[in-house]
Amino acid sequence: MNTNFQIALRFLLSRKRAMLMSLGGIVFGVGFFIITQAQTSGFEQFFIKTILGVNGMARIEDRFQSTMRSMQAEKGSNFRVSLEDSVKYISGVEFPQQIMEAVHHFPDVTAAAPVIRGSAMLVANFKEQDCKPYGIDSQQHFLVSDLDEQVIYGSIEAFQKNPYGVLVGERLARRMKLMPNDTLLLQAQGKSSRYRVAGVFETGIEQVDKERIYLHLSAARTLLERPTGASFIQINLNDPQKAPEFSARLEPVISHSVMSWQRREKTWLQVFYVLRISSALTVSTIILISGLGMFNTLVMIIIDKTREIAILRSMGYTRSDITQIFMLQGLMVLFAGIILGWAFAASTTYGLSKLPIRIRGIFATDSFIVNWELSHYLWAAAIATVIVGIAAYFPARRAARLEPGDVIRGSST
Amino acid sequence: MSIVLKTENLNRFLGEGENRVHALRDVSLQAEAGKTHAIVGHSGSGKSTLLYLLGLLDRPDSGTIEIEGKATAALTDDQRTQMRSQSLGFVFQFHFLIKEFSALENITIPMKKLGRWSEKEMRERGMGLLQDVGLEDKAARLGNHLSGGEQQRVAIARALANDPAILLADEPTGNLDHKNADRVFDLLSKISHERGNAFIMVSHNPELAQRCDVVFPMEDGFLKG
Repeated sequence: MNTNFQIALRFLLSRKRAMLMSLGGIVFGVGFFIITQAQTSGFEQFFIKTILGVNGMARIEDRFQSTMRSMQAEKGSNFRVSLEDSVKYISGVEFPQQIMEAVHHFPDVTAAAPVIRGSAMLVANFKEQDCKPYGIDSQQHFLVSDLDEQVIYGSIEAFQKNPYGVLVGERLARRMKLMPNDTLLLQAQGKSSRYRVAGVFETGIEQVDKERIYLHLSAARTLLERPTGASFIQINLNDPQKAPEFSARLEPVISHSVMSWQRREKTWLQVFYVLRISSALTVSTIILISGLGMFNTLVMIIIDKTREIAILRSMGYTRSDITQIFMLQGLMVLFAGIILGWAFAASTTYGLSKLPIRIRGIFATDSFIVNWELSHYLWAAAIATVIVGIAAYFPARRAARLEPGDVIRGSST
Repeated sequence: MSIVLKTENLNRFLGEGENRVHALRDVSLQAEAGKTHAIVGHSGSGKSTLLYLLGLLDRPDSGTIEIEGKATAALTDDQRTQMRSQSLGFVFQFHFLIKEFSALENITIPMKKLGRWSEKEMRERGMGLLQDVGLEDKAARLGNHLSGGEQQRVAIARALANDPAILLADEPTGNLDHKNADRVFDLLSKISHERGNAFIMVSHNPELAQRCDVVFPMEDGFLKG
């Protein structure tokens, strides 16, 4: 074993209680950092998975026409006045088939599906309720959403087999007391059509579950009197993170507005981001405090070992040996703290993932959602390393600066 | 006998401002291998200050120190440390053993730094030194589990660990009773004569000083005679 390491270890063990306090601080600091990140990012990832599964990674919505963007200030003048709102939007997608063909030329696109959206009155069991019928091509739509995984009662097959079958949101079905095989009326454009409930779906997003009804595209065209076109085209991509660049590239090509999921869900994503940063900063204070504890422990060891430092210097140990001996003590506690902190974090995160908790509103879960990510562990280790490294460096430098002659002179009678 | 240590016109001031004291005044001396030397004087005469300069634990304000023929004035801190490791051994009034290490480990600490011997050789050498000071049966005892006299004998063995040319001792018997003081001095004197080290001891005990081969009396920073 390296002599400096051996001396550092023995010095450290001579102050077991103080060392254990510092170690505990690092273990809890590293552990809680990872646990909070695992939870916040876990819920964030689950939220993203939910909204991608419901509303897709990107949507092609309204067609736009460029109108006059600037006008000459005066006849013959080179000065031009730029005009705001120079783009005119036309609601919906007029030629969805052509747009979908064009979109499939982009290598990032894995699937696209047209949707017709409208408003209707749902009548069932002597009750009435406003709802949002969504006309879909089931085969295509399952490729751009997780609707097939969201059905909690009834079945997708029943929906696919029955041209007048509908899938009703869980909150809406509960309010209207609807179960699979029940019939309902949808009233729109002054006429009514009867449908059969094939299934009930739950996304966890309250706004969706309390008003949305999926019906076949052809049935929706009849109900909403839209024989052609689509309200929007929902798109799935290879990489959800590329949605903003893809949208920016696609928009000018097809002259339709293209909304990425990041833009659409910006508010919630910001909330999760702020929560993650805030929890990371809060928990980092534990590591900071443990760093101060480490600083105190090392200062106490140095005060206690001043004579030993002097004798080591007199025996041929250089200033850098002394720095190394005290830095090593900090690094030993740091290393042990990181390993134990990781173990504590992993076991607690696993325990949390089994903890029952019912959440509905922006997603649906019956247990804590955690995200196992290596970067959380590496970040916690990096923060602890910086803080403990600084906490160990200054006392170590002070120890190295001790003049052996001064120490020994002060000890003699 | 060869001269292993030589100083010329050493001057050292201690303190700052009004408290500044001229602790050493033009001190010149020589120490020979295989001889025992005593620096004697009253408290405050500058004898310990001189010893720390000879041991390269402090730097003179003027004057030169040569150790084994090498001038030390221009050496860097690391070079002076290396020279301490190779050529100098220290015994202090307080033993300064590292209490977390055993007697044998305390002796091997300077050897490990020098890196001249293998692990096995260091152990054998350490045991030999413990045998020389009569403590071979206490090799595994921690520093603080030895008596005061035993600790000082381990400190002597440690000072001899790297076979230094010069053995410096600052009041090595100052913290011991009469019987142990005699025993420690006899041991140091015997080892020095047998091994050929130059032994330089600071003491205010005139009886012990008279038993040395050479005596350097000091007063108010001057070396007399």
